[in-house]
Amino acid sequence: MGEVNQSGIAKFLNNIRSLKKSFLGSFLRSGKPTSDKSRAAVMFNNFFLHIQGVKTHINTLRPTYTFGFGLISLYLLIIVVISGVLLMVYYNPSVTEAYNKIKDLKYVVFGGNLLRNIHKWSGEGMIIFVLLHMARVFYTGSYKKGREFNWVIGIVLLILMFGMNLSGYMLPWDQLAYWALLIVANIINSPKEITDSLGITQYFDIGGFFKELFLGGTNPTQESLTRVYLLHIWLLPMFLFLFLGIHFWRIRKDGGLTRPDTFERKDSDIYYVNPPEKTGGIFPTYKTYGLMELARGRTPAVDKDVENTVLSWPNLLIAELAIFVLTLAGVIAYAYFVDAPFKEPANPLIPENPAKAPWYFLGLQELLSYSAFMGGVGLPGLALLGLALIPYLDREEDRVGIWFTNRQGVTVALQSFIIGTIVVIGILAFVVNFGWFRNWWPNVPQILITLINPGNIWVGFMIVYSLFVIKKTGSTRMGAIALFTMFLVSYVIFTAMGTYFRGPNWDFFWSKSQWPIH
Amino acid sequence: MYSRFYLSVLLISGLVLITFLVFATYRELNPEWKKYQLEYRDLLIKNAPNEAARKKAKSIKIEHQQIYIKPLKKVDRCMNCHRGVDDPLMKDAKVPHKLHSGDYLKKHPVSKFGCTLCHYGQGRATNKKDAHGKGRDTHWDYPLIPFKYIQSSCAKCHDYLFLKDNGGEMVVEGERLFREKGCRGCHKLNGVGGDLGKPLDIIGSQPIAYFPMKYVVGERNTYNWLKQHFLDPRKIVPGSEMRVFLSEKEADLLTTYTLTLRAEEMPRQFRAIRYTTPVPKDGESLYKMYCVACHGNGKISAYDEILKRTIPAIMNPAFLKIADDKNLERIIKEGRKGTPMTSWKRTAAGLRDEEIRNIIKFITKDRPDERPEPFDYKRFVTDTKHGKELFNVRCALCHGKDGKGGKDHLGLNLRNPAVQKFVDPEFLAMTIRDGRKGTPMPAFGKTGVGLSDQDIADLVAYIRSFSDKGKK
Repeated sequence: MGEVNQSGIAKFLNNIRSLKKSFLGSFLRSGKPTSDKSRAAVMFNNFFLHIQGVKTHINTLRPTYTFGFGLISLYLLIIVVISGVLLMVYYNPSVTEAYNKIKDLKYVVFGGNLLRNIHKWSGEGMIIFVLLHMARVFYTGSYKKGREFNWVIGIVLLILMFGMNLSGYMLPWDQLAYWALLIVANIINSPKEITDSLGITQYFDIGGFFKELFLGGTNPTQESLTRVYLLHIWLLPMFLFLFLGIHFWRIRKDGGLTRPDTFERKDSDIYYVNPPEKTGGIFPTYKTYGLMELARGRTPAVDKDVENTVLSWPNLLIAELAIFVLTLAGVIAYAYFVDAPFKEPANPLIPENPAKAPWYFLGLQELLSYSAFMGGVGLPGLALLGLALIPYLDREEDRVGIWFTNRQGVTVALQSFIIGTIVVIGILAFVVNFGWFRNWWPNVPQILITLINPGNIWVGFMIVYSLFVIKKTGSTRMGAIALFTMFLVSYVIFTAMGTYFRGPNWDFFWSKSQWPIH
Repeated sequence: MYSRFYLSVLLISGLVLITFLVFATYRELNPEWKKYQLEYRDLLIKNAPNEAARKKAKSIKIEHQQIYIKPLKKVDRCMNCHRGVDDPLMKDAKVPHKLHSGDYLKKHPVSKFGCTLCHYGQGRATNKKDAHGKGRDTHWDYPLIPFKYIQSSCAKCHDYLFLKDNGGEMVVEGERLFREKGCRGCHKLNGVGGDLGKPLDIIGSQPIAYFPMKYVVGERNTYNWLKQHFLDPRKIVPGSEMRVFLSEKEADLLTTYTLTLRAEEMPRQFRAIRYTTPVPKDGESLYKMYCVACHGNGKISAYDEILKRTIPAIMNPAFLKIADDKNLERIIKEGRKGTPMTSWKRTAAGLRDEEIRNIIKFITKDRPDERPEPFDYKRFVTDTKHGKELFNVRCALCHGKDGKGGKDHLGLNLRNPAVQKFVDPEFLAMTIRDGRKGTPMPAFGKTGVGLSDQDIADLVAYIRSFSDKGKK
């Protein structure tokens, strides 16, 4: 090559000719992923991919270990964000315009109705998949061995996700939105019950203060809509993404997902993974690695493959892509058939009867019907605190990464499921048939109901039963399994109760067809 | 080879995804109204009178139609399906392409008034079900108005004097019925009227959820509720005390009028009200408007099944003979506590003094000239015990042993606080002595049964003592 002889113009023309190659080369610095080494390079050279390890443990890729719940939650979030940004193009957070804007979106915007459905259902789908993800993490014991704080961050994410869903529910400003907003404001106001009982409301009205802060007044108005909109599109998402970043970063620092110490490869793994080309390891022997001391656990030896791992490119990425397309297809198919609810314009004079919160809060509303303070603040607070504390109260570190830990775990989970179901349904049946203190002694002081009500009795039972399991099995992990199983059971049953069996005036009905037509 | 499992997941879900994207795109590209617009274009081409028109018809675009009525901030998209509504060529076409009936559109151009201003329905919607607001799952409070009630929309902008001779006879007739059936005896309108029923000010624009729809037959909307409620109030609202007896046609007329009572007011540029409709102020009209629902023609005193009490015959000459104007004025102004008779003064039910005087003048038009002979109750020393004995023999048959009257008795309830507190003994004594002509109440004095004045005074004293006993 006679570079010296080339004129400046010739060099320039040469550069133009090789523009494609040099641009791609600068973009994909490690070249095409054709060898194990370049496949590894793709992962750690890419801003988005390097959050994942170069190599992935085979256990992580087994569909029956994670079921992809966490991944689906993330994809739903991505779908929610993209569809939400598109919805923002049309939406206007004004009490006079919001309703009309949604109508226009529904009737004249190309694909507008589908877009709204996608946003709605992927948002609510997140609730289901986040809870399933939480259950997976719990039952595989993945909150242990340095992952304790990540579990706590997960709880924070859970709260933020509920907040996002709830604030979105209020934006169309229809009857559902208006009355749900009022119910949520009343849930916020529920500490008033306890301050009233203590007679200190006039000095220390914490419930009233937060209700007013939330609504921007005493009733839902334009001020409330502005605030809810702010929460929905900026404040809550900002914190959600912040904590999500920490959540993922910590997974990476903890060495990926949990796996059993006793992991063994199975023949069936061939269906999920593509083994590396050479088994001798990807690290050449002529280099030294100084960071080994910082890495956790058993460090990979030079010239030897990390045990039971495969390259993330393409094994992990193809799995992630498959789950993403699966999620998107599921959401679009559901959104194609089921329309997001949209009722009459908000009317402060015509209450919905029953005025119901969004379905995921109907369990709370059921508890709220026993005692405002306990249902609104006390019990959910206790439940979230209990969930957050689980990793610190159960510190047994053996058999992490195995579903239900061992055979005893399966038995305990099943027992707690059956006993929990029977007790919760029993409590509900008792309340429906016989009522509670207020029905028996109309003048009973409210503080007594705050302290003794069906919700508290159930929570008390959960705690006592878990302690009993700990005593019987001698294992805190078993107690945790009992507690968490019962929490899930009661969340599902209370929510179903509020959704399907409560009608006007919060009376019990076997089906919606029996509701008295107003 | 890549992992077989994830590749198959990717493949299958990819196919599902593409399928649904294609479905969704197809659905969006073929809205319901497209079919109607294509039909409309074919009709235009077929009906074209000459070649130029045919050529023009061929070139019309199949596209989204919308009218924006700026002063009302209203959007109407009805023309997506009803594109021929202002096209004279579509005179003989079938719905939805048909030309609007009559010549209404000449003075009410679609571009200025739109459609839902008069016909209701959901202007923003672009499919038939939602646009017509049929069925509760459309969640639309103002479905398409049936044609028999359409004239209620005229009254939004026009006055009744104009409507009378210009195609609004049904709503005018409805307004007359509203006045003559005495609706305001129980319902307030513009602050004037009784308080037994709900105020009617915005009844026509109340959301569907405002009405108890449980017993409504057919489509559950405001129109059906109003009509069926007029025909049989107690079938729609069990226990209702509404006294209304209407024919099918009258119910339709009243429904038409009731639908004009709306919350929203049309902007000035739409209204064509040239002068306010004069409201008759004479005694007879006022009596009909406020009294007739309960008192009827005022001649008969009978037990009423609906109100569960005996309604006094206020235009009975015998009653008028002893009840002077001052007495009547006090009753009308203050009402009768414990009865459905409300207080009608300016600050309560809202009648002006002048109007009350006109009503009294009308009621007392048949008052006999001669005044009754005074009884002078005060001169007697009364004996309640003797009164009680007399009561059980003479009065209990009609007024009941306890004086409560009621369902199986002809007489009024004498324990009523109205009788006990506000009727003076003089009036009671005179009524017992002279009876009430035209009612079953006979005269017990010398002209009739033959009780002495002392006996009558004892009876009055006994009746007056009911309220003392009640207190104990």
